[in-house]
Amino acid sequence: MPPLRARHGTDGLKNFKNNIISCERKPSPHPSERYDAVPSLTPETPQLIALSAPSIRCGSCVAMIEKTLRELPQIDAVRVNLTNRRIEIRTLRQDSDLDGILSVLARIGHPATLIDAADQQDTGKDAIGSAMLRAIAVAGFGAMNVMLLSVSVWSGADGAMRGLFHVLSAMIAVPIVAYSGRFFLISAWTALRSGRMNMDVPIALALVMALGLSLFETLRNGEDVFFDAALTLTFFLLIGRYLDHRMRCRARNAMAGLSKLSVKTALEVRTGGQVHPVAAADILPDMVLRIPAGERMPVDVRVLRGSTDLDRALVTGESLPISAAPGDEIEAGAMNLTGPIDVLALRHVSDSFVADMTRMLATAEEGRGRYVRIADRVSRIYAPLIHILAASTFLGWVLATGDWQRSAFIAISVLIITCPCALALAVPVAHVVAAGRLMRDGILMKDGSALERLAQIDQVTFDKTGTLTQGMSMPRTNLKMETQTVAALAELAGSSTHPAARAIAESLPPPPENLGNITETPGFGVEGLLPDGRRARLGRASWVREIASEDCSGEGPAFCLEAAPMMRVPLRETLRADAEIAVAALMEAGIPCEILSGDGDGPVTRIATRLGGLNCLYELDPAGKVGRLQALAKAGHRVLMVGDGLNDTPALAAAHVSMSPASATDAGRAAADFVFLRPSLQAVPVALRLARRTARVVRQNFGLAVLYNCVAIPLAIAGYVTPLVAAIAMSSSSILVVANSLRLNSIAKSRDRSRNWRPQNEIPA
Amino acid sequence: MTQLKIAERQIAMILSGLIVLVGLVMAAAGHGDPMGAHGWIVMLFAGVVFCIVMNVLEDPEPSEDRRTSYYDDPTKVGIVIALFWAVVGMGMGVWVASQLAWPDLRFDAAWSSFGRIRPVHTSGVIFGFGGNALIATSFHVMQRTSRARLAGQVSPWFVLLGFNLFCIVAASGYLMGVTQSKEYAEPEWYADIWLVIVWIVYFVLYIRTLARRNEPHIYVANWYYLAFILVMAILHIVNNLAIPASLTGAKSYSAFSGVQDAMIQWWYGHNAVAFFLTAGFLGMLYYFLPKRAERPIYSYRLSILSFWGIVFFYIWVGSHHLHYTALPQWVQTLGMTFSVMLLIPSWASAGNALMTLNGAWHKVRDDATLRFMMVAAVFYGLSTFEGSFMAVRAVNSLSHYTDWTVGHVHSGAMGWVAMITFGSIYALVPVLWRKKTMYSWKLVEWHFWLALSGTVIYVFAMWNSGITQGLMWRTYTESGTLAYSFTDTLVAMHPYYIARAFGGALFLAGAVLAAFNVIMTIRKVPDQASQRDYPTNSEAAEPAVPAGE
Amino acid sequence: MNSLILLIPISLAMGAIGVVVFLWTLRSDQYEDLSGDAERILYAEDRPIVPKDQNTARKHKETAR
Repeated sequence: MPPLRARHGTDGLKNFKNNIISCERKPSPHPSERYDAVPSLTPETPQLIALSAPSIRCGSCVAMIEKTLRELPQIDAVRVNLTNRRIEIRTLRQDSDLDGILSVLARIGHPATLIDAADQQDTGKDAIGSAMLRAIAVAGFGAMNVMLLSVSVWSGADGAMRGLFHVLSAMIAVPIVAYSGRFFLISAWTALRSGRMNMDVPIALALVMALGLSLFETLRNGEDVFFDAALTLTFFLLIGRYLDHRMRCRARNAMAGLSKLSVKTALEVRTGGQVHPVAAADILPDMVLRIPAGERMPVDVRVLRGSTDLDRALVTGESLPISAAPGDEIEAGAMNLTGPIDVLALRHVSDSFVADMTRMLATAEEGRGRYVRIADRVSRIYAPLIHILAASTFLGWVLATGDWQRSAFIAISVLIITCPCALALAVPVAHVVAAGRLMRDGILMKDGSALERLAQIDQVTFDKTGTLTQGMSMPRTNLKMETQTVAALAELAGSSTHPAARAIAESLPPPPENLGNITETPGFGVEGLLPDGRRARLGRASWVREIASEDCSGEGPAFCLEAAPMMRVPLRETLRADAEIAVAALMEAGIPCEILSGDGDGPVTRIATRLGGLNCLYELDPAGKVGRLQALAKAGHRVLMVGDGLNDTPALAAAHVSMSPASATDAGRAAADFVFLRPSLQAVPVALRLARRTARVVRQNFGLAVLYNCVAIPLAIAGYVTPLVAAIAMSSSSILVVANSLRLNSIAKSRDRSRNWRPQNEIPA
Repeated sequence: MTQLKIAERQIAMILSGLIVLVGLVMAAAGHGDPMGAHGWIVMLFAGVVFCIVMNVLEDPEPSEDRRTSYYDDPTKVGIVIALFWAVVGMGMGVWVASQLAWPDLRFDAAWSSFGRIRPVHTSGVIFGFGGNALIATSFHVMQRTSRARLAGQVSPWFVLLGFNLFCIVAASGYLMGVTQSKEYAEPEWYADIWLVIVWIVYFVLYIRTLARRNEPHIYVANWYYLAFILVMAILHIVNNLAIPASLTGAKSYSAFSGVQDAMIQWWYGHNAVAFFLTAGFLGMLYYFLPKRAERPIYSYRLSILSFWGIVFFYIWVGSHHLHYTALPQWVQTLGMTFSVMLLIPSWASAGNALMTLNGAWHKVRDDATLRFMMVAAVFYGLSTFEGSFMAVRAVNSLSHYTDWTVGHVHSGAMGWVAMITFGSIYALVPVLWRKKTMYSWKLVEWHFWLALSGTVIYVFAMWNSGITQGLMWRTYTESGTLAYSFTDTLVAMHPYYIARAFGGALFLAGAVLAAFNVIMTIRKVPDQASQRDYPTNSEAAEPAVPAGE
Repeated sequence: MNSLILLIPISLAMGAIGVVVFLWTLRSDQYEDLSGDAERILYAEDRPIVPKDQNTARKHKETAR
């Protein structure tokens, strides 16, 4: 079964989604609009089509797709993007045959889906990212040239030559720092205005002071100027900032790719019986919709016609499907399993079940908003400290020598040399390296703060359905039936697509084809005729009972041959791959695990027992899950929540840090800090280990920075810091912390290092 | 010629006719001066071109749509010319080296004196061999990576033949004693002006081809080639700013004087090393190495980063050629500092090339062509390290003016430049001529070992010679006088000079094999219409060495 | 040092050309798909791509990426 996700409702989530991932992107217009030379869409005007094809994974795929598509007469140009696994096509005519293109792609082994207009926003350019790159390029240019001039001066250029070089440096440095350094200056200004302190305040102060002092020195033809320090600082810090930004965008892009596969439309039944497609966002209350089997409810609905089975695992966490008949109300997000139904829309998308989750999510988020990143926490102490230090240096020198200019020079050189270049690089570089490692292990991380929070956890709570478990199976040992009966059961089960039936069929040997006239009644079950003319039924107990000679209580779907006693086929959920190992690893690391499930007592306790007797809470609604997490937080715990369902979404946001599998709902993935793409639950301990290693490296980096300051500050206060000393000291400390962070790459080698790993393929299929 | 339309052939005729006229004017005006002789050479060269074009003027025009194929004829001619210059230039080198070991080899003629044939060797290998190889491969790479045909049909010929005219004028001038006395910029003013014209056409052709590319991305090799063309143009123009003594003679005076001139010259000289001998050939490396190894470059991002690093750091290192001169101390220190920092992007490039081969070592073992490229990358790393080291003033005080410098240059020129060029030629020839394989893989193998042993012998001889020389020069007796006379050092160096001539001869022998192998490939190997640029694994019959050999 | 008076502006100008070119490469999305671009040359057919529609060929470069 393909990965199933809510196909709608995400529009309502869009606003807070953007808040969670603050990776601002300039929305780019739809491709046909981007083609600015097209005033109106006549059939002759070309059309731009963007497709997502997850199976692209190397240059030969690229070459094959481009070659094959280019040969189609309707296609003018085609370009495959290997990084994003996307195909962009320009056709010769507007009314091109999209289905034809898709089928050609499927034939050559690269099934693709259209990226719809809403998702096109993600393909727009990363405006901030490219602004930063531009700033880096300009700062790099300036830094190199000023370094050249500075090296000349340090090498002994003096007199008029030195004056000339200083003036040249000033002419390069001032505009470039203003342009490239604006990211720090603006951020520092905003922080100061609201009375906060962040890492950018000491940076901005050092930049401005360095420039001011150097300009002054240049004008009075002094010996030492710090233009090169100002520019190299800007350059290095911007690189750190850009890496951080890139990391978040990459994760966001990768996650956007996961939801690309759903098309957000539904079918409206008009009076007269014609069916028209309608966008989920345009569904109005009282509209009649047709939901085919395999689709999800776009909004909250009431069944009008037909009966079926519903999978509410993602909505409520129930592991077994329930049946629905006319009159039943269904929440948005539940999946229609067996038969097509006509439903009446009850609410607008924004008022549906999804929207309730949204509201709860927003409240739950507030708690987390209070988390302060480690770099900012450090800067809260660090920045005032160095400012006081600089001020007292100034005072001390004035009192001692009475020379204002020299005192100011030395005080400012203290500010420059203590500028937290290493600090500002220490965290992002470590996080970027860690994010790269996680990605290779199939774990996407949203931002660095998630990694910091993950390192702190002391408890894990798991959702059950879809997180600890994946699907169902029939325990082999429980069958006490005759061979013929088993064959009939297997054949009935094999003829249905209902998940329970499939689980049964998969656990039984393939049957001989004995039954005749097999029919499926949506919402009830499957029926067939035995060779002796008796009926056999598998399905809902009340329906099967009709032909049974004897009733039977229990759990699971019912089965019976006509005029024979009814039986129940007990099903149990299958654990997600490596669930036992992962939980054991966590317990071993001293981290208690707990199950928070919306499912009933029985299934939850069974899973808890199988995983080694975990503490478990069952029949929790979304608010209950959040309540439990808040209680834990109040007790001083920092909890990692792992979940996938729509009902887990508020809990994911409420926990200290959260993870969800790639198969989770869009909302769940958006709320989670980490998304793991591989089926194995080992992702949880792997991410935890890496987070803790990263935290250690970050602490070491801070240690190095402190050490550096212990050496540099006395020198600066004593007035021994020349621009040359500053340049060497600052760049060597930066290189040191970067090198230390790169160690994360080598120490955290995972077991699986295959290069050709493909994330999209690992969504459970 | 068959690919030119009649109108284009007419343009070619007019152009060559005009150049004949220029030659005539030069011959008339410079009568009695070497410039007059150059006039005759120009006339002869352009006249031959004129006749060739006239001969085929009325041949049928190309019938097919020319946009559907690449224009490979200039590349083919360029490769053959490059090999011709390789043999000539390296032959001259062996002769010059032998003259140092056995001075009688001068044969007592003026034109064959060391000072005249040494620039024939240097210009022959750098501009004749290297330049033609760069032009030819750049035509190939720019078309392949742009997925578009060259933007002009006549201009590639103008660039290629015009450049060779420059080379011929330069080389013949040296033999007549015409020189500006600027290393690697010896040709006189009229040759310099001609090169500027050719170079501008080359640059415009490159940009126009890129502008009509059908592949949106510009492959990194193009950036290296473009930097080579653009920066060489600027360097050439600035360094050759000179006032001709008269418009009728081959003599000019530099616009700069004294140490200013020296600074400009070495700003040019070392940037020529950077942008001609490094950037251009890195362009070659970044295209042909991945192609041959059938693996993408290890880190494409790093290749772009090191491009900008190299471009920036090289600009100011030239002054390390002028340690302990009248140049201000700080300019020397500046050159030294940046020379040392240059090591970072240089090693990034070399490492990137070698890491690309990581995982394809079996191919390197079996395929001499790929081995050429690998050894080139190794020598690139070694000689850039050596260069940074020698730029340090203290080291330079020992190495400068000694044979160590010569050894360093040759480890770069033979080990890096020539190796990558030969590797690229062996990779390119079967593709260009649509041949199944090279004529003989055994000859490639022989060439590889000859070239490698020749380089190693040469470089080691020069290291020993240079350090011996440097130490002898700076040895004082207790009374403070020099311990050795200059003749003493010459006697000490004699065996190394013989070794050098031998190493050079081995390298030359390899180049002759290459030329023979390429000619035989063109003439003897059956054609093969290949769909792809390069033979795939299954088809690559050429490199596989049979087991047990 | 009048040679430096010449060389410094030349070098600065060359650096400025470099920055402009780099900014142009950013604008024209040269760094969108580096892994794909590194591999592309390995699989290219040995013949040019002929744009099917001459009029739109130019626009394609600017838009269809």
